[in-house]
Amino acid sequence: MKNPFARYLIQKMVWYLLAFLIAITLNFILPRLIPGNPVAVIVNQMATGGVQSDVLERLYSTYMKEFGLDKPLYVQYFEYLKNIFRWNLGTSFMLYPGKVNDLLGRALPWTIALQVPAILTGWIIGNLLGAFSAYKGGRFDSVVFTTSLVFSNIPYYCLAIILLYLLGVRFTIFPVGGGYSFGSTPTLSWRFISDALYHYILPYSSMVLVALGGQAIGMREMSIYELTSDYVNYSRNLGVRDERIIRYVFRNAMLPQVTGLAISFGTMMGGALVTESVFSYPGVGSLLFTAIRQTDYPLIQGCTIVITVAVLLANFLVEIAYGFIDPRIRAVQLGER
Amino acid sequence: MKDMLILLFRSKRFIVGFILFLSVLLFALIGPILNPRNPFQMVGGLFSPPSNEFLLGTDNLGRDVFTQLMYGTRTSLLIGFTAGIIATTIGVSIGSVAGYKGGVIEEVLMGITNVFITIPSIVILILLSIAIKTRSALVMGLVIGITAWPWTARAVRAQTSSLKTREHIDIARISGFNTFEMIIGEILPYMFSYIFMAFILQFSGGILNEATLSMLGLGPFQTVSLGVMLHWSLLWEAVRTGAWWAFIPPVICLSMTTFSLMSMNASMDEIFNPRLRRG
Amino acid sequence: MGNLLTANHLRAYYKTVQGEEIKAVDDVFLEVKEGEVLGIAGESGCGKSTLASVLSFTILPPLYLVGGEVMVDSKNIFTLEKEILRRDIKGKYISVVPQGAMNSLNPTARIKNFVIDIIKEHFPEMTKEEALRRARERFEALSLPPRILDAYPHQLSGGMKQRTVTVISTLLNPNILIADEPTSALDVSSQKIVIKLFVELLKRNIIKSIVFITHELPLLRHFADRIAIMYAGKIVELGPMEEVIFSPRHPYTKLLMSSVLVPEPGMKEKKIEAIPGVPPDLKNPPSGCRFHPRCPSYIEGICERTSPELIEIAPSHRVSCFLYGGKDVA
Repeated sequence: MKNPFARYLIQKMVWYLLAFLIAITLNFILPRLIPGNPVAVIVNQMATGGVQSDVLERLYSTYMKEFGLDKPLYVQYFEYLKNIFRWNLGTSFMLYPGKVNDLLGRALPWTIALQVPAILTGWIIGNLLGAFSAYKGGRFDSVVFTTSLVFSNIPYYCLAIILLYLLGVRFTIFPVGGGYSFGSTPTLSWRFISDALYHYILPYSSMVLVALGGQAIGMREMSIYELTSDYVNYSRNLGVRDERIIRYVFRNAMLPQVTGLAISFGTMMGGALVTESVFSYPGVGSLLFTAIRQTDYPLIQGCTIVITVAVLLANFLVEIAYGFIDPRIRAVQLGER
Repeated sequence: MKDMLILLFRSKRFIVGFILFLSVLLFALIGPILNPRNPFQMVGGLFSPPSNEFLLGTDNLGRDVFTQLMYGTRTSLLIGFTAGIIATTIGVSIGSVAGYKGGVIEEVLMGITNVFITIPSIVILILLSIAIKTRSALVMGLVIGITAWPWTARAVRAQTSSLKTREHIDIARISGFNTFEMIIGEILPYMFSYIFMAFILQFSGGILNEATLSMLGLGPFQTVSLGVMLHWSLLWEAVRTGAWWAFIPPVICLSMTTFSLMSMNASMDEIFNPRLRRG
Repeated sequence: MGNLLTANHLRAYYKTVQGEEIKAVDDVFLEVKEGEVLGIAGESGCGKSTLASVLSFTILPPLYLVGGEVMVDSKNIFTLEKEILRRDIKGKYISVVPQGAMNSLNPTARIKNFVIDIIKEHFPEMTKEEALRRARERFEALSLPPRILDAYPHQLSGGMKQRTVTVISTLLNPNILIADEPTSALDVSSQKIVIKLFVELLKRNIIKSIVFITHELPLLRHFADRIAIMYAGKIVELGPMEEVIFSPRHPYTKLLMSSVLVPEPGMKEKKIEAIPGVPPDLKNPPSGCRFHPRCPSYIEGICERTSPELIEIAPSHRVSCFLYGGKDVA
């Protein structure tokens, strides 16, 4: 591998593939740790729900084939891996014969549309706020810090519930959930889109507020740290004015925040999923919620895989991007150090 | 050490956090003792609003919300505490060994840690919760604890690495202490404040994780916790029917708990990390 | 020839969170003359780094300026408007080479961008290209490869960084260059190169004087014109290099000189003596003359009462010790 950057890229990819492999292995193993035959359990459940016996027979054989529970474990594992890489996530239990792929395919765009802008907005505003607060100091800083502390330590869904109640039920400013008005079908019309946006505001805002708080605190800390560095003092001593120094400082303080962005995708995931459930927002979160209620293992597993892929991908992209921004890391990448 | 404590108690932010947390703690621990009611007993109408008899009304099955709140807070704190202890113990052990030993051991341990940091913990939590047969409060604490340790491990490793370059380490090593004695005797005592703060973080995180899991439906069986209360609210449409007493109190309790813990942590950070002190 | 800089009764204390005061610079007198190298020497903890901070405008909490003045061009710089201070004094009249030059460069900026910023701060009409050209000329004139300008700090070695910082500090041809331990973190050969650079800067009249702060006395022997000895926050002796080193007056200076090891002829016969006692705690310094608990010439009843003034006992040579006068002040 001649080009050191290519080497770095490959290294990272291998690393992330490894993480992915471990994740999906866990995804495979853990549900199978449940004693007993999960398929039989599910089928029995359905039997009590009054499903006819020949349907039950078909169900049973479908799932047995899919899960391959009659075959030895390692065979199951390879079947499983093969399916993943062919992007076949199986059939849902509860919404039989609905395919997990389809269900996720419909839910995923909603989740991405909500979470990505929310996290990015929270990140940008939070960082600006944190940096400015660090620079200003004094009373402004105290207020911002305490407020951020409050917001960042309230779980997403708590804020979501409060907002939903206050602005949706008590004062009916916003709709009480759903991605769009009940009864309408998703089309690409303006009417639908504006309706969807209207439903979008509350979930979006609750996520932004919490993300903002967390970023503000982090950025403030980094900024304070940078503001007391030697190179800042030196620049000041040579007469460089504060406005210019601030630009250096924030650029340097931003760098770890970019890593923080990657990390937030992972840590915010749990809270984001629950927020979706609170608002009955038709994303992966609500899907997962229902799936857990119905112990729909294929669907649960499908969701977890998708979540894992999303987070790993986000982290990977950010790590590569970070290399471009920070010359010190680039030096490591290019083997200069 | 004592001056640190004095400084701590002079900090307004710390006092606020401390008092809030103490209130929650007392509510959760003393409450159930003073309150004769059973949180699972159906005692009133469905979703009836607060009254003189039931301070916080009843939930979807007619059970007393106020009592539920007491027991729920207690369970949540218990789970968070268990998770905190476990996560901190594992994290400190792995981190300190990795940092002290260095070399291949460090690489391997940190490699494992990094893998688990990269994989989103919520995924592992969901999978683990599905897989286990009994979900008691303690088991949940255990599950959360064994997924939360990586951050602590990483932080502790960094601290240990820099601590081990101090002179007293060399002297102790020459005196023939083995690795275990070295870490316990020579390294950890210097990191005490650090470890304590890490524990507070894990405690708070544990409470949050429990709430998240419970809200998704993976909470402890047969017990009420703050997250479980919220789960019921979701399930039974408490929000849409305007039964605010079913979910606002747990939300407030949860937020207050995590906020007070993190406030105290932030104050401790300021005292123990003088660089953040602004003159 | 007037002084380029005169510091009178300079006081700067650290205030701790517990409310204690550390009197790191306590009633300091200093004068810097044109064309000279003034060395400031003392043990660790005597306050010389704090003095450097004060003179180079880095007075940040928990350090506070408590009193005194620093006269430059018959104006007290601490009373000047911030904007005038920034535009005309910092970097232009007084410049500084900080301790730990390694970390004084912004790690994510190329050297040339930093240099252009500095030049344009003081000469806003100049274009970028013009500023860069000037910088290149200066680097070349002082035998530094211009490729440094295109580099990032982490690409340079320690000695190279020190020299780069020195050149950058003198870009605007300051009158006074304050160098705080510029050679402490370097190996001997790098030290030599850095000192050579200083000499070159003086020779070419790029700078008019240097204040060289160090704890390495042998260095001052070869480089300084006058030396100030600092002890526990005060200047105890200030005079021409030869007099201070070879015929010191203050008891502390005497002990200091006999405790130094130098590879010179006659060293073998000399007896090295450590100074008895320990350096004083600057939170609660000894009363009166700060050195009196360790002083072999301690006179009871006088030395612990008041602090001796800095008195001129020979042309340009001052001492603060009751042995040489000032007793009537007690």
